[in-house]
Amino acid sequence: MAGVDIGADSSKAVIVANGKLLSRHIIPSGGNYKLAADLALDAALQKAELSRGALAGIVATGGGAGNVTCANRTSSDIVCQGRGVSRLHPSVRTIIDVGDLSSKVSRIDQSGKTSAFLLSGKCAGGSARILQVIARVLQLKIEDIGPLSLTSQNPVQFNTQCAVFAETEAVSRIAEGLPKEDLLAGIHLALAAQLYTLAERIGIEQDCALIGGGAKDIGLVKAMQETAGHEFIVPLEPQIMAAYGAAIIAGEVVAKK
Amino acid sequence: MTESKVSCLQSEASCPQSEASCLQSEASCLQNEASFAHYFAGIDIGSTMTKAAIIHGGIVWSVIGPTGPEQRKLAGKVMQEALKKAGLSFEEISYLVATGYGRINVPFADKQITEISCHARGVNSIFPQARTIIDIGGQDVKGIRIDAKGKPVDFVMNDKCAAGTGRFLEVIAGALGIELDDLSKTAAASKKPARISSLCTVFAAQEVASRLSEGAPLSDLVAGIHQSVAERILRTVSRLSVEKEIVITGGGAKNGHLVKMLAERLGAAVLVPQEPLLTGAIGAAMLGKDRFHAAPAGQLQKRPRNWGEVTFFN
Repeated sequence: MAGVDIGADSSKAVIVANGKLLSRHIIPSGGNYKLAADLALDAALQKAELSRGALAGIVATGGGAGNVTCANRTSSDIVCQGRGVSRLHPSVRTIIDVGDLSSKVSRIDQSGKTSAFLLSGKCAGGSARILQVIARVLQLKIEDIGPLSLTSQNPVQFNTQCAVFAETEAVSRIAEGLPKEDLLAGIHLALAAQLYTLAERIGIEQDCALIGGGAKDIGLVKAMQETAGHEFIVPLEPQIMAAYGAAIIAGEVVAKK
Repeated sequence: MTESKVSCLQSEASCPQSEASCLQSEASCLQNEASFAHYFAGIDIGSTMTKAAIIHGGIVWSVIGPTGPEQRKLAGKVMQEALKKAGLSFEEISYLVATGYGRINVPFADKQITEISCHARGVNSIFPQARTIIDIGGQDVKGIRIDAKGKPVDFVMNDKCAAGTGRFLEVIAGALGIELDDLSKTAAASKKPARISSLCTVFAAQEVASRLSEGAPLSDLVAGIHQSVAERILRTVSRLSVEKEIVITGGGAKNGHLVKMLAERLGAAVLVPQEPLLTGAIGAAMLGKDRFHAAPAGQLQKRPRNWGEVTFFN
């Protein structure tokens, strides 16, 4: 079975057999979603040493799901990630997905079925995009900002929720001589506060999971834990949860036939 | 720094200047002989630009300078430039009012008054028929309803989101590789404005940059951006009951195409002051003058002034 998740920033394909993950592949989506889908799927198949013919079912998800022409069906990414997370971590009841374009919070039951969800607006300040913006201002690689932020003793308080204004604030704080790690710790806390507020609106039930590209940032995970006052489960591969869930659904669809 | 000498605010009868450069109507001219004895100053410290104005009778000297990346530390310098242009020493200023963005501490001012009150007073002195002000600033957008006397009666603001503010246009200009000052004429050249789907500044910049690289005409994209900004501004301002006459102020008022888009959507002609950036500083100076003349002799409270740095408290 295959699950393909075409997001605004990245496309993910996973190959699954009997619910077990065989392989995965993540690439930038670029401008051509159909191309991204094919590339991701074929690369994942290659890693699993399978051909397209070996697939009994393909489910597509994400904003660009309609571009996956080989898919048997599509399913919403919220539904898919609920199934995916639940399969790996059955205790989870609340999922916070920190994407590039927006963030999503959903509530699931013990079988991974979505009971409620809420989306942030398409605002860079409320998504992982703000981390990219600040990383660029500080001339750091995105994968480095998490670990660096953990070394801060004195997080900076950002006075804004807007990525553009935060960028200005960061520039003037740098000019004042503030250390980068303090700015990073501050921006992680600012984003965590917004995510937490979003989650509170539909009610937080533990256990909570953090997924999406943003969950790969250890600084954000720590900031979320500090803000919420409890731990967050971060799946080993937080970016592929929707694709994984899509593949599980593909298996169920085929089994029903 | 840019600077300008604004033309006289006096009525025609008592002023030798030409009607064309007079900003004020006779009815609202408050000049009398006594006011020629004093100089009043106002400084408006915005998030992006600092504006200083000195008034004397009807004459105004002004200086506009950047607030600076270190925020507000250049304010004293801008005021000193204005004093130099007017050929005055600081002590010759009878009263100095400061206003601006956020809660600031201006050590060289006698009083601080909210920017809402200052803008209202300033606009009223230029357009006594004004009842709604739309101020498009560098980092915020304000809507102010005012009465016939220039007192604010209602107020809305967006300072949380860069969309609809000067910053949005700055970011877009940067993303498209054009000068901020060229945006208006680029937009005006378009026959078919593009519809920009992203509301967020960051995503809109990404959208126009990628559409440009795909071959979309620059002028159509820029025209579409102006429509987005106008819609966003009015979404904020419509929370007021907008009443004519409508005056546009702030840096955004210098963008002719944006002003046109706003007027179209409002369904009414809009007024723009000759110096749209100065209404706050002029209003501040005039409120200082009001206070000065209203106070019984010898009882006007003034703070000890010094040229210390402007700071702000949260």
